[in-house]
Amino acid sequence: MSNADRVRVRGLSIFRPIIYGNTATVLTPKEREALSPQTKDHTHRWTVAVRSAASAPDSDIVGGADDLGYFIKRVSFKLHETYPNSTRNIDKPPFEVTETGWGEFEVQIRITFIPESGEKAMILYHHIKLHPWTLTGEPEIPPLEEALRKGPVHSWQYDEIVFNDPYQNFLNLLMAHPPTLLPKEKRYKPTPFHIANPVSLKEAVNVTSEMGVPEFTMAMEKDEAERLEEAKKKVIAEQEQWKKILIEKNEEYQQLQQMVEE
Amino acid sequence: MAASIADVRSALSISAPSPSTPGPSQLKKQPSQSIRKPEGISRELYSLIGPSAPTLAAQLAKPRLKQKPNLGGGGKVKWEWRTFKNSARTDSLELGHWVKANSDPNAEYTFAKYNVQHTVYSWTQDEYTRYLQDPEWTPEESQYLFKLAVEYDLRWYIIHDRYHYPTGVTRELEDLKDRYFSICRKLVRNRPWNGDETSKNQLLASFSFDKEREQLRKKYVANLENRNPEQVQEEEALYLEVKRLEQNERKFKREREELLRTLAGIDSGLPDIVEDEATFFTVDTSKLQKKKNRGTDLDSPSVSSAPSVTKRAPVVKDPVEDAKHCIIRTELSATTPATKAAHTPAYMRSFKLPYPKAAIAPRVTQVLSELGISPSRLVMPTRDNCQRLESLMDEATTLVELKKAVDKVIQDIEVTKARLDLRETEGEEPARHPETDLEMDERGTIEPEGEDGRAQSVVSTRSTRSRKHSRRSMSVSSVDTTATSSARPATKRQKRG
Repeated sequence: MSNADRVRVRGLSIFRPIIYGNTATVLTPKEREALSPQTKDHTHRWTVAVRSAASAPDSDIVGGADDLGYFIKRVSFKLHETYPNSTRNIDKPPFEVTETGWGEFEVQIRITFIPESGEKAMILYHHIKLHPWTLTGEPEIPPLEEALRKGPVHSWQYDEIVFNDPYQNFLNLLMAHPPTLLPKEKRYKPTPFHIANPVSLKEAVNVTSEMGVPEFTMAMEKDEAERLEEAKKKVIAEQEQWKKILIEKNEEYQQLQQMVEE
Repeated sequence: MAASIADVRSALSISAPSPSTPGPSQLKKQPSQSIRKPEGISRELYSLIGPSAPTLAAQLAKPRLKQKPNLGGGGKVKWEWRTFKNSARTDSLELGHWVKANSDPNAEYTFAKYNVQHTVYSWTQDEYTRYLQDPEWTPEESQYLFKLAVEYDLRWYIIHDRYHYPTGVTRELEDLKDRYFSICRKLVRNRPWNGDETSKNQLLASFSFDKEREQLRKKYVANLENRNPEQVQEEEALYLEVKRLEQNERKFKREREELLRTLAGIDSGLPDIVEDEATFFTVDTSKLQKKKNRGTDLDSPSVSSAPSVTKRAPVVKDPVEDAKHCIIRTELSATTPATKAAHTPAYMRSFKLPYPKAAIAPRVTQVLSELGISPSRLVMPTRDNCQRLESLMDEATTLVELKKAVDKVIQDIEVTKARLDLRETEGEEPARHPETDLEMDERGTIEPEGEDGRAQSVVSTRSTRSRKHSRRSMSVSSVDTTATSSARPATKRQKRG
């Protein structure tokens, strides 16, 4: 490794869009029979994963168009202690763990980057979601038929890993793998559910397994941007009102003050 | 003088004229020499250096001296006294002046053209009502202004000096100008124009007048003139100080750059790159390896210079490429230290979501959630959206702080009202005895005014009382929070009775 590669390119940051989360499907009675005696009470099969944000065309999973192995060395999933060898280290893509279970819990995801990055590992947390989303956000366990009709439950969070002033060789490596861009517009696939996204909340009620797997799109970003801008406008409008009130009250106060001084 | 010339001659080894020869004979000798005198060299110089410097003479010959301009032919100019008429004058006054005898006696007076006549604008009653109305001005006064403007030929200071309109409103110079030019502008704009647009615009521009700006300008000039010596001195001192600071700053920057260049340059073997910090170790290498690395680097600088080509490649700024590779470039500030400690480690975008100030966090969160925004989570935490959330949060914080300020003022108002009420009841304490009150009323003397019964002697009690009434009516409208409120109606009744 020549030392010029170990020079940080300053004034530059480079990011990679990723998603992390899980997909869960309810087990049919037949499947449950096939389970081993230790896991007889398990009701769901779930997969927790770290993937690239864009979905491959016609894929049956959320995201995962790109192989993240070029900059991620290892992803460790720390499952609930009740699972045998609860820390699962995945050293090559796909970075995911599939298990069966009966309850929701928080999984710790530790992403280790390749040594060229010179970066420390990063820790994320994800709540494994098994039961369908509801409008209220309160967990509800629907009857089996209903769960089967609704299809797999998806819970994914988009995020961007930002590398500041990367080393030259690491930057070259990243630039050799440009990420697949998110589709500009929402296509036939549903919007991934997110508690902060009213669009997905509305859709969530009607989601069925026929609609396919959700997909992240740029439209979601635009949508959120508009929501934020809208909110900002409202806040500013309200600010104006309160400013007026403040001025009025101040005047009133000053008048009173004058009277006190008289 | 002769001695010095002799010195020069001896120095240049020119045969000196015989010492016995007097001055005039020297001059007589010259013509014989001047035949050979090359052109372009002055007589005096030639007499000094003689023919012994031909190269110099040849060079001097090149730029020919300009001929003196021949003025007026023979040198003598005849002037004569003539009478003339100024065609710009309306009266046929004849004046006289000296002119050259050879000039044309029938020519127009040269200065007549400088008497430019201004277009006199006048208006019809209809035009006035439609365009020229101004609450500050009557049509008559406008007419008067225009009359003066024409009379004094737009000499504004004179116009202002002579301006005396019977309504008695004193007008500033700027008021007059503003009115005059605005009328002109409006008339030009609204009347049919038979020239082209540019000339119309030119004319309009010549009528433009900004009253506020002119006043401001005059104020500034007056301020500038009215500075006292100390202020002037202070200003100069400050100016010098600023200059000195600037200079220091520059010097400091230069030195710093040099230092960086020296350090980074030697280390990386690339003296032309200042921005990039050379680091020779990965995170997990030991100190020993580090030392070894550095040693080898210093030993073989040729290794380090090779990859400079690959290094340059990503520096090319191409927004399209950058977007494709998700690269964001920031301007480096000179103050950012290029050390390992200052490096920001890799992070998730959502790690850097803004937090509201702890003291008002619950209220900010509430404001945001009322708007359907969850302050701690974004669906798509991209850079733009994070920034948007941050600015939204800033605004929400401002809003919450505004509300707090309003609350405080309202509270202050309540407190003050309570104080007023309290004082009023105290102030009316003596009035509980109707006799004394009446007596005082009749006598028209001082009525104690509670805690600050001062300066009331001038004012009659009647007025004091009426003021009190008004005050009471105000406090009645306010929220009843004072303990003294129960006492008030009683006092009131007594007073009325």
